[in-house]
Amino acid sequence: MTAAALRRRACAIAALSVGMLVVAGEQAAAQVPAPMPARPARFEVGGGGIFVGGYDLGTSTAELTPNGGTSNSFTLFTTDNEVRPVFGLQARIGVLLSSALVVEAGLRFARPVYEVRASGDTEGAPATTIEDTMSQYVFDGSVVWTPGNPYRRLSPFVFGGAGYLRELHEEDALVDDGFEYHAGAGVRWWFGEGARGLGLRAEGGFSIRDGGFDFEDGMRLVPIASGTLVYRF
Amino acid sequence: MRRRLQIVAGAALALAVCAVPVGAYLKLGTRVGTRTESLRWRQFPIRYFVTDASVPGVTSQQFQGAVTRAFTTWQAVENTETSSTFVGFVQARPFVEDGANVIGYLSQPGQDRTLAATTFTVDETDGRILESDIYFNTIFPWSTSEAGGADRYDVESIALHEIGHLLGLSHSALGESELTGGGRRVIAAESVMFPIAFTRGNISDRELRADDIAGISDIYGTTTFSREFGSISGRVTKSGSGVQGAHVVAFNPRSGALVGGFTLNENGDFVIAGLEPGPHVLRAEPLDDGDTNSFFDDDFDVDVDFRVAFYEKVVAVPRGGGARNVEIKVLPK
Repeated sequence: MTAAALRRRACAIAALSVGMLVVAGEQAAAQVPAPMPARPARFEVGGGGIFVGGYDLGTSTAELTPNGGTSNSFTLFTTDNEVRPVFGLQARIGVLLSSALVVEAGLRFARPVYEVRASGDTEGAPATTIEDTMSQYVFDGSVVWTPGNPYRRLSPFVFGGAGYLRELHEEDALVDDGFEYHAGAGVRWWFGEGARGLGLRAEGGFSIRDGGFDFEDGMRLVPIASGTLVYRF
Repeated sequence: MRRRLQIVAGAALALAVCAVPVGAYLKLGTRVGTRTESLRWRQFPIRYFVTDASVPGVTSQQFQGAVTRAFTTWQAVENTETSSTFVGFVQARPFVEDGANVIGYLSQPGQDRTLAATTFTVDETDGRILESDIYFNTIFPWSTSEAGGADRYDVESIALHEIGHLLGLSHSALGESELTGGGRRVIAAESVMFPIAFTRGNISDRELRADDIAGISDIYGTTTFSREFGSISGRVTKSGSGVQGAHVVAFNPRSGALVGGFTLNENGDFVIAGLEPGPHVLRAEPLDDGDTNSFFDDDFDVDVDFRVAFYEKVVAVPRGGGARNVEIKVLPK
């Protein structure tokens, strides 16, 4: 073996050793938990914005009974109906049952617009888009579970829960209510160590609504997403 | 004080309505001093007789069966309180003020566009109906066939319309018609109380529509009806002034129900009651699908000089309450 070859081998062994040390070091780091706070947090509160997806309510036909038989319908006009997507607000308060499990109650508020486009008028009324703004409240309860190490600064979580849906039309003239079920996933990012103090929470998922403002019986699914500022203490 | 009124439903052209409209659909009414009282029965059951006479194709028993079915259809409206009893066949003819409610045939060749008509004797102090007769004009061919008689008018359909008058309803404008050589022909309608009958052989008007149900419920509704249904009130205006005699239609896009009403004064005020709770689209149109005297007294000026228009917002009708202060702005033609 030449001197040059010996140097290359020595370098290779050194590189391998460094590599093993790095791996060993990473393994050692993984085995050491993130620093636990001196006193575990008990509560989590938060508030922020929420996005609630819209949904289509289909087409409705203002129909008259035709003379001379029932085979052909007579349409006075039609309406295309939808509830537009909306941004709203939410507030949540949670109790930590353990470092990984939070039970929380929340209130979500939004003002979605119910939009109707009336068109095809038999007497030539110009097509018109008309609206009604609703006040939508969801009072809910959720369970939030953080898998893995809950003390990491960036920790993913999954959530699920159910709530009461209440929708008030303009001037609170009409109330539609129902139930809401939701599930999804998200992440928390803590500004400090130990998964306490201030943090940010972002999540997305879906909301299944049974009742509320709709034209058909049955459930409908709308996407939801939110970003909140949280404080755990 | 008693007064005799006549309501007429036509085959192709409707004639006079000698009463004061007092709201949507319309309801019939009578003026008492400065206020208007709806015509309505105060005592039930309504006891009626049928003239013991036949016409080609329809025996008196078949005629009475069709009339009774029509009464039953009105009585079946939920959350209303009306009832009737067929007392028996009589020789008496309708349109005679004799204290008995008589339904039967009359030959009225001079009224060649009138299929049938209803008259009332009312107490003008409170709008109470004391007597009402209905005649079917024998100059037209009639049928009580279950499937409708070819080239004949359906007794049950026309009876349903006339009994609507007998109960206090006037005409609805919820329909479209076209002018023909001798009058008007209905193209489509969504109310049994539309003044122009469907063509011969058609039995569509054996069933009440949302507009009819709203009307009868407004007159004879129970407390449950008042608690469960709502209303819309407001004005139709043109260049800031009220439009009198405009036809306003409330459409519920959730159920598809159509209920009509009218603006009944120079201020353009209207009320549409008996509406299901929920969102409604409002549309105002000129009263041009029938002669205006099918709906109003001759001295009632109807403004038809405006374009059809939708109200700019969806109106949410509350359960047991009213959506108020709606203003539908229309443009001149």
